[in-house]
Amino acid sequence: MDPECSKLLPALCAVLADPRQLVADDTCLEKLLDWFKTVMETESSLHLLQDHPCLMELLSHVLKTQDVSPRVLSFVLRLVGIFAAQEDCFQYLQQGELLLGLFGETGALSWTAWNMPSVRSGWIQGLCSLAHHPSALHFLADSGAVDTIFALQGDPSLFVASAASQLLVHILALAMQGGASGSPISEAAAWPICAQKIVNHVEESLHSKATPQVTQALNVLTTTFGRCHSPWTGVLWGRLSPPVACLFERDPIPAVHSLMDLLLSVARSHVLNFAACGLWEMLAQTLSRLSPTQAGPLALGTLKLQHCPQELRTQAFGVLLQPLACILKATTQAPGPPGLLDGTAGSSLTVDALLSSKSACVGLLCQTLAHLEELQMLPQCPCPWPQVPLLGATVTILRLCDGSVDPSSSMGGRLCGTLGGCVRVQRAALDFLGTLSQGTSPLELVLEVFAVLLKTLESPESSPTVLKKAFQATLRWLQNSHKTPNCSDLSPDALLFLGELFPILQKRLCSPCWEVRDSALEFLTHLIRHWGGQADFREALHSSEVPTLARQLLQDPESYVRASAVGTAGQLSSRGLQATSASPENPLAQQGLLMDLMHILSTDSEGFPRRAVLRVFTEWLRDGHADVIRDTEWFVATVLQAVSRDLDWEVRMQGLELAQVFLIQAMGQPSLHCPYTVGLPEATSPRPHPEFLQTLCRLPLFEFAFCALLDCDRPVAQKACDLLLFLRDKTTHCSGPQEAGDSPNSASVEAVLQRWREGEQGQPLGDLEPEAMLAILRSLDLEGLQGKLAKSSDHVEKSPQSLLQDMLATVGILEENEADCY
Amino acid sequence: MPEIRVTPLGAGQDVGRSCILVSISGKNVMLDCGMHMGYNDDRRFPDFSYITQSGRLTDFLDCVIISHFHLDHCGALPYFSEMVGYDGPIYMTHPTQAICPILLEDYRKIAVDKKGEANFFTSQMIKDCMKKVVAVHLHQTVQVDDELEIKAYYAGHVLGAAMFQIKVGSESVVYTGDYNMTPDRHLGAAWIDKCRPNLLITESTYATTIRDSKRCRERDFLKKVHETVERGGKVLIPVFALGRAQELCILLETFWERMNLKVPIYFSTGLTEKANHYYKLFITWTNQKIRKTFVQRNMFEFKHIKAFDRTFADNPGPMVVFATPGMLHAGQSLQIFRKWAGNEKNMVIMPGYCVQGTVGHKILSGQRKLEMEGRQVLEVKMQVEYMSFSAHADAKGIMQLVGQAEPESVLLVHGEAKKMEFLRQKIEQEFRVSCYMPANGETVTLPTSPSIPVGISLGLLKREMVQGLLPEAKKPRLLHGTLVMKDSSFRLVSSEQALKELGLAEHQLRFTCRVHLQDTRKEQETALRVYSHLKSTLKDHCVQHLPDGSVTVESILIQAAAHSEDPGTKVLLVSWTYQDEELGSFLTALLKNGLPQAPS
Repeated sequence: MDPECSKLLPALCAVLADPRQLVADDTCLEKLLDWFKTVMETESSLHLLQDHPCLMELLSHVLKTQDVSPRVLSFVLRLVGIFAAQEDCFQYLQQGELLLGLFGETGALSWTAWNMPSVRSGWIQGLCSLAHHPSALHFLADSGAVDTIFALQGDPSLFVASAASQLLVHILALAMQGGASGSPISEAAAWPICAQKIVNHVEESLHSKATPQVTQALNVLTTTFGRCHSPWTGVLWGRLSPPVACLFERDPIPAVHSLMDLLLSVARSHVLNFAACGLWEMLAQTLSRLSPTQAGPLALGTLKLQHCPQELRTQAFGVLLQPLACILKATTQAPGPPGLLDGTAGSSLTVDALLSSKSACVGLLCQTLAHLEELQMLPQCPCPWPQVPLLGATVTILRLCDGSVDPSSSMGGRLCGTLGGCVRVQRAALDFLGTLSQGTSPLELVLEVFAVLLKTLESPESSPTVLKKAFQATLRWLQNSHKTPNCSDLSPDALLFLGELFPILQKRLCSPCWEVRDSALEFLTHLIRHWGGQADFREALHSSEVPTLARQLLQDPESYVRASAVGTAGQLSSRGLQATSASPENPLAQQGLLMDLMHILSTDSEGFPRRAVLRVFTEWLRDGHADVIRDTEWFVATVLQAVSRDLDWEVRMQGLELAQVFLIQAMGQPSLHCPYTVGLPEATSPRPHPEFLQTLCRLPLFEFAFCALLDCDRPVAQKACDLLLFLRDKTTHCSGPQEAGDSPNSASVEAVLQRWREGEQGQPLGDLEPEAMLAILRSLDLEGLQGKLAKSSDHVEKSPQSLLQDMLATVGILEENEADCY
Repeated sequence: MPEIRVTPLGAGQDVGRSCILVSISGKNVMLDCGMHMGYNDDRRFPDFSYITQSGRLTDFLDCVIISHFHLDHCGALPYFSEMVGYDGPIYMTHPTQAICPILLEDYRKIAVDKKGEANFFTSQMIKDCMKKVVAVHLHQTVQVDDELEIKAYYAGHVLGAAMFQIKVGSESVVYTGDYNMTPDRHLGAAWIDKCRPNLLITESTYATTIRDSKRCRERDFLKKVHETVERGGKVLIPVFALGRAQELCILLETFWERMNLKVPIYFSTGLTEKANHYYKLFITWTNQKIRKTFVQRNMFEFKHIKAFDRTFADNPGPMVVFATPGMLHAGQSLQIFRKWAGNEKNMVIMPGYCVQGTVGHKILSGQRKLEMEGRQVLEVKMQVEYMSFSAHADAKGIMQLVGQAEPESVLLVHGEAKKMEFLRQKIEQEFRVSCYMPANGETVTLPTSPSIPVGISLGLLKREMVQGLLPEAKKPRLLHGTLVMKDSSFRLVSSEQALKELGLAEHQLRFTCRVHLQDTRKEQETALRVYSHLKSTLKDHCVQHLPDGSVTVESILIQAAAHSEDPGTKVLLVSWTYQDEELGSFLTALLKNGLPQAPS
């Protein structure tokens, strides 16, 4: 602990012990605990207590009087736990009977404040920190704390109840860790007393008729198998699997969610012999007994398992496929193409779930689609993957939603009524449809996909969220489906599709909803990025009004849309696809866009479009865009001039990024500061031409970066520092090692530096000569500044010393300002 | 048993970050999704793991509702939707939808600026999150799905703030968010109709306070600013991008105009234009005065307030500057503060609260020597003023709202435990309703009695009319009939119609009751005594003595029998049909009182 904090600690302890003083807020006490935890990582807590008697005084005071506020009581319990995590300190506190006094039956449990959840939570967290050594284990067993923890599992506060269960697992693991030091204990009867007590309690709870108690026991076991991977967990499962199996015999099955979590947690464990312990049978039985909605998560979890019998995987996959199989069956004209799960029985439960109510149907379908989507992206994805029927079913669901299915059965008719216009199902189906693009599908089905996507994109009923997902799915299908041998090209079918898509996109670019205009622009930008170079695509795009409309959106009233339009216009221009009648041969139109973007950069009232302009400009500079290379110096100068006045620090930072690209193009990549390259000749770093240094002064790039060193927003200053370091490295050999004072304009250099040191910024440096620039660069301690800037801007205010000062300073004034908020 | 369950994940006995889970008839709704500004790690967000335990978020939650744009109510939204994975609908009012991203962006920039946090949500995430928002109008009933509907009411507090009624079938909950029951300079007072929800979840920030008029605070503010600039000092007002800043701008603009002052006022972030745009767009959300005067002069077009340039801070002479961020924890406001702090002529006015770990918090707690980077010490000589302009309902206002909505029970959130306890007792005493104040993580469960709509047959209604009992509006009436439950619908019909519809035969059901009488005479004599007694008592009824010795009153039959064990006791068997239940009960009670003594 640093001496400054040591000095402040006694006063703070006195404040905490004084019931008349209000503690500023919970965050201060939380941060104080964070700090103690950090201190304890490197120091002995026993020494800390001995060196700071005020801490013991605070603890003893609380123990004696308990007249402090519940939040301080909770703090003290947690603090003692942190101290007692080290065994010698534990003994020390134990001798003073402090631990028993706080955590024993006559301690916190008997306080009036025990009815506050924060105090109970503090008690649990304190014990959790403390339980790290064998002495702690004895203490827990002797003090009766374990019984209290059992009771707290059913606490009305979710937080307390959950923490109590976690603590039980922690204690069990600690007990077994100590007990298992010799040979593995195969008999639970020979386990340490504490562990036996917990296991007995869990077993009793599993036999209980009350569901909450069963749930608590299952949660403890789930966490145990998730965290502990020692052989004793096998013995534990051997003992407790029969009562767990009995739960399946009850009707209804209690705590289904927790039960499934437990089975999956056990199945993920590496130490069990599953075949011997009957887990697979249990999983199979559960899958067949649960309702389709309940079984879904278990089926997905089973399929994710590394080692699982094929038969069980097939059963689990069947559970996930069943709802879509029903959809296909209900809507396909017999005899139809092969469906999912042909010939299997047991779909009546699924049919019931789909038809029982709208919310059940929607819930089951959304869950199934999301599970299948997740599964397809996993390495454990079943093989063969029924791509064709799944795609068919998904397209059908989308058609049921848009009302274009002609139902072939009464169930189909009811599904039409239930799913018509259902946005939730539409969204889930579009997500899955996008993922299905990764598989290989027959052409006729791809055409169906395009058709249903077009319908969704065109429909006036489609909500903005549905449209966004439809755009995303479309992009994925264009990228992945039916690729021609030249894999980056669009297929003829995709081109035909684009012919129909662009008129719809035109309409969407004019939507009254900004969300739709923006999603359409984002989609368009992706299209151009991927296929902007392909002749057929260019032709299709040119024959539409899309580029013109996109350009018009530069004036959109919504700033998000303006920013997206800037990105799109930038892409169009980079690919020579600009709006109006312009062509790459018509430089005037291009120049028009450059000026439009410059106008946005200097006048737009919001940051997003200005930032977007800089992203486009930086890309243009990097890629050698025709307009930029026509007069790069003018371009950079104009951009930096606009950016230097900008109030948005991210714009200023991107201005520096652009400046860096400019420098790298002229001076080469930054040299690597790698110890292994010390001896290598710097052949790759050419000496900059003196004229270029003149340019830097004239632009004025140097002045911009130099002023930005003092920017009130730290990332800007950091970036400027990096830039100037780069510049200094590259110009080291430009002039002799002369001192700044020897230079002819030393007075002006010194004046500049003086103003800079005084924190004045924004004052023009005046006409700076390259020599003066180099002299300033040499005079600045850029490495030192870089070190300072690497810290957060509020590291002083966030320091422990500052925290202690703040807590002390608020004493007595809290009443005046009260707890306030917005 | 249908029930309503409420679990605060935030705002349960605290004012840190609001996030309340409500389960009503199987529908799950999250009310607000706020962030705690006092933390810099994941503790700033509510612990969503308690929801993710219940399966996929989007499947579990039916919707998220955001009451207003303050970060302690919406700050965790992009994290929740783009990082935790909620993909369902988010409801808020139009102004909140417009302003929310500005504040989220403002906060993101500060967080990243200050600490270079990389794992914070990005601009793109804020935008993607906002695209999931469904904006609602005041008093518009929005169907989230077939069963769940929501409706927004005006809450005052800040532009676009709303209270929400959440309704499933006949059960409803009202969540107030933050609200203000007294109008201020640019907003009106909160209002809700007598919607009689099962539960009213109300904020209770000022649960024990009766606040002084905001006008006094405004006068005080203007006086302090004026005095400072008069003596040539500079005034710094750290603010967040939107909200309080505009309120104070209106105040100064009007004052400058009235006093014909020439001292420059600057706004540092260039957001005045945007604020202008939104306040113009949402003029219907402001108070009546602003709406009325809007035609002649738009209150939000500031003549005296100009955009700030970074070099202005070094200019000599007085000036007033609004600069972000509001807690002096980074950026422009902190830089200006450092420049001006050393001059006792200057003043900084903090119009909102500041969390620990900020320079704002330090100066408000009276610290005057601030350690800066590199062990430098900044001596604060400028005046430091704190003025709370927060617009919450005080104790009186909360009681007023409870009275207005007439809920069956009340639940307090967004306040301190001690103050809540006081208000809880007051509400229970005054309104005779249960009042709860769960801590974070505690669940309150309320059983509800759902009202079930039942159709009544025309025949039954006509029969009632014939009996001369004309229905009266707003007055509950008891109606007898047979309830037929068929095809998930309920109908009340006459028993004859029910029999006919269901093809059932009629059965006569008689109730029999035994009444013991002390009488040594023979059974026939006892029966005769009963007859005489009833004949004289029930003058309007037809009382008959039948030849077999039994007595009838309308359809009620009374027979006397000897007691098997006690010859001195006679047993009267009184039997009646269910149609004459009333008369049967009356007769039984009458006979239990005994017979009058026979003349000797």
